[in-house]
Amino acid sequence: MRSFLLRRVLLALATLWLASSLVFLFLLFLPGDPVQAILGLEASPAARQALERALGLDKPPWERYADWLTRTLRLDLGESIRYGKPVGELLEERLPLTLGLVLLGLGGALFLALPLALLALRFPFWDLALTGLMALLQSVPTFFLGVVLLYALAVHLPLFPASGFPGFSNPWEALRHLFLPALTLALSRAAILFRMARGSLLEVMGQDYIRTARAKGVPETWVLFKHALKPASLPLVTVLGLEGGFLLTGAVVVEVVFALPGMGSLALTALEARDYPLLQGLVLVMAALIVLFNLLVDLLYGLLDPRVAYA
Amino acid sequence: MRKRLQLFLLVSLGLALAQPSGGELRVAILAEPPVLDPTASTSQEIPRMLYDNVLQGLVKFNEKGEIVPALAERWQGSPSSLTWTFHLRRGVRFHNGAPFTAEDVVFKFNRARDPKSGHTHPEYYQDIQSVEAKDPYTVVFRLRQPNQDFLFNLARPDSVIGPKGRMEEQRTQPIGTGPFRFVAWERGVGVRLERFEGYYEPGLPYLDRVFFRFMPDPNAQLAALRAGDIQVIGLGVSPEAALVLQRDPNFKVVTGFTTTEITVGMNNGRPPFNDLRVRRAIQHAVDKKALVEGVMLGYGTPIGSHRSPGESCYEDLSGYYPYDPAKARALLQEAGYGPNNPLRFTFTLAAPYPYERRLGEAIAAQLSQIGIQARLEVVEWATWLSRVFRGADYQMTIIGHSEPHDIGIYANPNYYFRYDSLRFRELYTRYLRTPDPKRACEIMKEMQRLLAQDAVNLWVMNAPYIAAMRKEVVGWWQNQPTPSLNVTRVYLSR
Repeated sequence: MRSFLLRRVLLALATLWLASSLVFLFLLFLPGDPVQAILGLEASPAARQALERALGLDKPPWERYADWLTRTLRLDLGESIRYGKPVGELLEERLPLTLGLVLLGLGGALFLALPLALLALRFPFWDLALTGLMALLQSVPTFFLGVVLLYALAVHLPLFPASGFPGFSNPWEALRHLFLPALTLALSRAAILFRMARGSLLEVMGQDYIRTARAKGVPETWVLFKHALKPASLPLVTVLGLEGGFLLTGAVVVEVVFALPGMGSLALTALEARDYPLLQGLVLVMAALIVLFNLLVDLLYGLLDPRVAYA
Repeated sequence: MRKRLQLFLLVSLGLALAQPSGGELRVAILAEPPVLDPTASTSQEIPRMLYDNVLQGLVKFNEKGEIVPALAERWQGSPSSLTWTFHLRRGVRFHNGAPFTAEDVVFKFNRARDPKSGHTHPEYYQDIQSVEAKDPYTVVFRLRQPNQDFLFNLARPDSVIGPKGRMEEQRTQPIGTGPFRFVAWERGVGVRLERFEGYYEPGLPYLDRVFFRFMPDPNAQLAALRAGDIQVIGLGVSPEAALVLQRDPNFKVVTGFTTTEITVGMNNGRPPFNDLRVRRAIQHAVDKKALVEGVMLGYGTPIGSHRSPGESCYEDLSGYYPYDPAKARALLQEAGYGPNNPLRFTFTLAAPYPYERRLGEAIAAQLSQIGIQARLEVVEWATWLSRVFRGADYQMTIIGHSEPHDIGIYANPNYYFRYDSLRFRELYTRYLRTPDPKRACEIMKEMQRLLAQDAVNLWVMNAPYIAAMRKEVVGWWQNQPTPSLNVTRVYLSR
């Protein structure tokens, strides 16, 4: 177990370094630069030079990269060019909202998908209806689904606020603001999870030990819950881990529709402004979270499948 | 007479009662600016939120675009137009409590005219030879040569005055003398303003708090307006949404003019648009009226040169090249293009501007009707800035030029249009050096005609200003003579 963890940590560090360095490299090759993004149209060339000097962008790229690396090793992510604010503070502002949204969204998706998959498997009539519904949900783009929910549950039936996020200081208000975006995410993600769960349950149900259980006279519902659910949830855990990582920034469409200041829109702004310290900081944090998710998934495997051992 | 007086008193009483003060106004704007100092970035979102609301200069534009007193009570120019004396308003305080005096003005303009200071537009102030404080409330500017735009430039957002010595902090925490003081900039969320108790105009402002929210998605803005999360969509409402909201008794739509010329830029330094005949063919091939009616549902005014109808010395040249496909074909043939050798080029559209994008697509469709093949290419903003704007590496593009009174860009041969005309540069210099406003106006009109003659670009329309709000919001600026969502006199009726 210890050597397993050590290997994972070293691998994680290498991943972090590689990901953030690649971002720096890509930004060098993209047209456009942060100074122009700040100054905008029509600014004088003298103003350009002055701002370049002030931001240290007149130094050669390798020197800027070395600066960034030494700073990062001291756990200082530097200052965002676009926002003139420490990258760490910006991430601190955005991360809680994004994590809340992803957890609620994925939790909601799981909460919808798993019981429905069990239902579909138990009753063939439901199977057809639910598979159809899920296919529909999967093919509706999130920006459309979001706007429909927005008009239904915030405008015409004003149960929830339409946009924004007040912060977690008042948990009830925070939940109210997160409900619609999380529901949008949950509905669109539930489709994938449902198909995954249904598929893997079907596979497990064909196994010999299920036949044995049935032959022993175990009721069908009990077979599903006791014997099929646990082994069938392995691929589900994998998908959840992947989705969690993706949604950290992949929820950007939902963030835009509900005007939420999350990590996705921060990443987009950083990219548009060619704000390399901010983008590198974001990539670092996100890569770290994804590595963590994957580790959790691997550990969950061990719990769900007794054959998995860590060495 | 007495009846009239009674009526007058009644009306003014009604007005006084109808202007309840207090409350919070929440306004959506599309984009977040990179900084909050209008001298550190040319982003128009900065003055939209802060001009006159928070930051003020010696003089300012009113809703009609006239120059009116702000921090200067009155001023006079010498007969030669070389010396300008400004008498400052007394008893004005900055939001941090510091008194506003002539020293702040001197500091501001010494910095502004220093090209090394990082001020985005030092050229506005380059004719200032010296600026001196004669006493704490009198400032004297001496110019090297007459400059027709001197006062206009002092009214621009670039000329706002902050406390002496404060520079870096203004970028993120602006301090000014306006009716509202800056409270917070929540990154990615919005900017909060609060009523400034020490404002010098008695009784103003009416509102207690203003919250400008950044909402990049038009659908989200509309939903938030309908749900009551915001009361105003500050700008850029789509024509379709405007028509729908207009019919709804709970909302009203405010439309007026801007200083944005939606311009199809042509690279005059490169084939095929280095050929005047081709540029003229483009002018005849595009039906601007159809664009206004069809694409913008009637919002917007066709123009024919680089100036907006709401600006001074405007000359209407929208009919200079009438829509005439046959003539366009003939001009193309003369230039060597025909059915066997069609005119082909790349038409670069900048992603973040919805009006311009859909106009560009419609223009490409109109051009294709006479056999011109425009290949559409959509690029994101940073790419547009570096490739098209800075590098002039393009053939045709479309963008709104929103700065007021910006015809001078055509006097710069390195500008992305690559328009190199000695005649235009001479006219522009003569315009600047002519102290008599009437004669300067004549030259300004001649400049507009020359641009139209040379068909430098295709000027499509003056972009409409379209804002939408709940009906209880009163006092919103109808026009945008300078980008400014001015909330000084806005109130919520009940």
